[in-house]
Amino acid sequence: MSARSIHNLALLFLLAVVILSITIVLPGKFLTVINFQSMGSQFPEFALLALAMMLAMITGGIDLSVVAIANLAGVVAAFILSRSVGTDVSPYLAIAAAVVAALSVAALCGLVNGILVAWINVPPILATLGTQAAFMGMAIVITRGSAFSIFPEEYAFVGNGTVLGIPFPLILFVIAAVAVAIVLKQSPQGFSMKMLGSSPIVSRFSGIRNDRILIKTYVFVALLAGVAALIIISRSNSMRAGYGEAYLLSTILVAVLGRTDPDGGEENLLGVVLGILILQATQSGLNILSISPFFTKFVWGAALLSVLVAMHFIPKIQKQRQVRLQKRALAAAGAEHGSKT
Amino acid sequence: MELGRLLRTQEILILALVIVFSTIITIVNPSFFSFENLFDLVRSNSGVAILAVGIFIVLLSGGIDVSSTTIAIAGQYIAVNVLLASGINSIALAFLVSIGVGVALGAINALFVSLLNIPTLIVTLGTSSLFHGALLEFVGSRSINSGNLPSAIKDFGRTNIIPLTRANGSEYGLSVFFLIAVAVIVLTWYILKYTMLGRGIYAIGGNQEAAERVGFNIKKIKFFIYCYSGFLAGIMGVMHVALIRTANPQYLVGSELSIIAAVVIGGARLTGGVGTMAGTILGVVLVTILEKNLVLLGLPSYWQKFFIGAVLIIGVVITYGEILTKKRKGAASGARPEIKQVEAEGVR
Repeated sequence: MSARSIHNLALLFLLAVVILSITIVLPGKFLTVINFQSMGSQFPEFALLALAMMLAMITGGIDLSVVAIANLAGVVAAFILSRSVGTDVSPYLAIAAAVVAALSVAALCGLVNGILVAWINVPPILATLGTQAAFMGMAIVITRGSAFSIFPEEYAFVGNGTVLGIPFPLILFVIAAVAVAIVLKQSPQGFSMKMLGSSPIVSRFSGIRNDRILIKTYVFVALLAGVAALIIISRSNSMRAGYGEAYLLSTILVAVLGRTDPDGGEENLLGVVLGILILQATQSGLNILSISPFFTKFVWGAALLSVLVAMHFIPKIQKQRQVRLQKRALAAAGAEHGSKT
Repeated sequence: MELGRLLRTQEILILALVIVFSTIITIVNPSFFSFENLFDLVRSNSGVAILAVGIFIVLLSGGIDVSSTTIAIAGQYIAVNVLLASGINSIALAFLVSIGVGVALGAINALFVSLLNIPTLIVTLGTSSLFHGALLEFVGSRSINSGNLPSAIKDFGRTNIIPLTRANGSEYGLSVFFLIAVAVIVLTWYILKYTMLGRGIYAIGGNQEAAERVGFNIKKIKFFIYCYSGFLAGIMGVMHVALIRTANPQYLVGSELSIIAAVVIGGARLTGGVGTMAGTILGVVLVTILEKNLVLLGLPSYWQKFFIGAVLIIGVVITYGEILTKKRKGAASGARPEIKQVEAEGVR
């Protein structure tokens, strides 16, 4: 069994433990359709940002601007939506315009990140550190520090509607996750991203256009953030700049928890999805138990560090065991050889 | 250094920017260039400068530390609580406790950084969440306002080394904070320039493997770097509470990215090994002017964040786009641009 499947089994086990223990502590409160429906509309906005972070990490980069992109795209969409209320513009036309605007703004942001990283060779941490301030700054400037609210009623469906009992945000997330899976596992883009992540030099000399791959990656990352923005503004029915800044740490936590190598090259989409579910189940359980958010913050930090330590030592221990086994085999072979002569 | 090369350094560019901005602001609003405003800028930003120096050292070694604001607030809040609990009204004890906490938390950072071969950003994101969560959960989350604050801390915040009197009789002056900031800057500059340790920090940032082969003890140096960063954060913590006269454990955290931005604008390279103290200080000055004085220009304060982002982007484009050094490099290795590009990507 590969290290990756062991890791995913461990995550699955962890998820089961979390769900079981919360169910035992809170019988009849956690394992209910309503709680699952509410979780299903809560976590997709975060999950999309986590997938975005994972994609950037696969190429050996990072995107600190995902939350800022979601804010800027959300503010732009919210602006259009709130302006359409009270006019005789059809709400569906306004919604279509808002969606197109949000996604184009996001794509543009991604393009800026991609150009900085690919053409100007700015390390992704720095490039996106700068752009996150600039994008968030733009969002603040557009809202002038306040919020846009009151959208057409029809738009509430994106964040709160259900199809056959399944929350619509969850459906959006599943579509996005499938799209990410296809890109990573089936497309040349996904293959090149992994190559580039493990060694930019090798990938360059294998004829891969590193710059194009990177730019496409950052645009894709930003588009996922744009979709998250569409859910965010619908769920809160308003948008102010600065929403969800605490998501940034959690997206990195989940990407690493899902065994995305921060140095690039390795992907484990299933692991990241499992990580998202674990995080959501824990969060929701701690919420119902009304445990302080401070303690939760402490637990996330501890969890991230423990995963890092485990990821560092488990391969080492496995290697040592292999070496020991080999030595034993050699010694046995040597003894056999000695007894023959 | 010959004049031509000097003119192409990032420090000069930032200095020019600082002068241009200051001139514009002074023309629009002459109150900018008064002792009162300048002293006030120094007083309110000495702490930030000290934190920036710690972040600079970490950047120099090729790492990135986003936990220093958390460490500063932890040192500050614990120190204030110790003073209140023990009843000892002493600024020295406040510094001692805050620095102790800072160094201890820095040591934890160092432990994880040297133990795990993982980007320091992710490690320090984890530790900052851990530290801050622990502080709020186990020490307290209540804000201690001016009325309950030990008087030694408030007196310290009011101490001036050059006292001056306004026309109306009220007093102002150059704060003692300036002295602390200068001491930290000189000490750090000395360590970096004249000690083996300092050369080791540059060496690690330049090429860790080479530094190791030359005989630098990487683990020891990294341990020093993160403890020193924690030490400076501890100092800053006490200065911060003396400045704003409220100990709120939720303050400061979240401003680390703009301090890192200031250091990066100052020319420190994230890949390590490149950067100067002068650049760092100029970066802090530039960001301070942008942050605090856009209002003097009549721009609404909600433009701040955008401007800082824009300046940071321009800064990194200049640094990494090799706009200042392109011509010379092109002449030296112009024949094989392909290889050069690949090398640059390899560094990433």
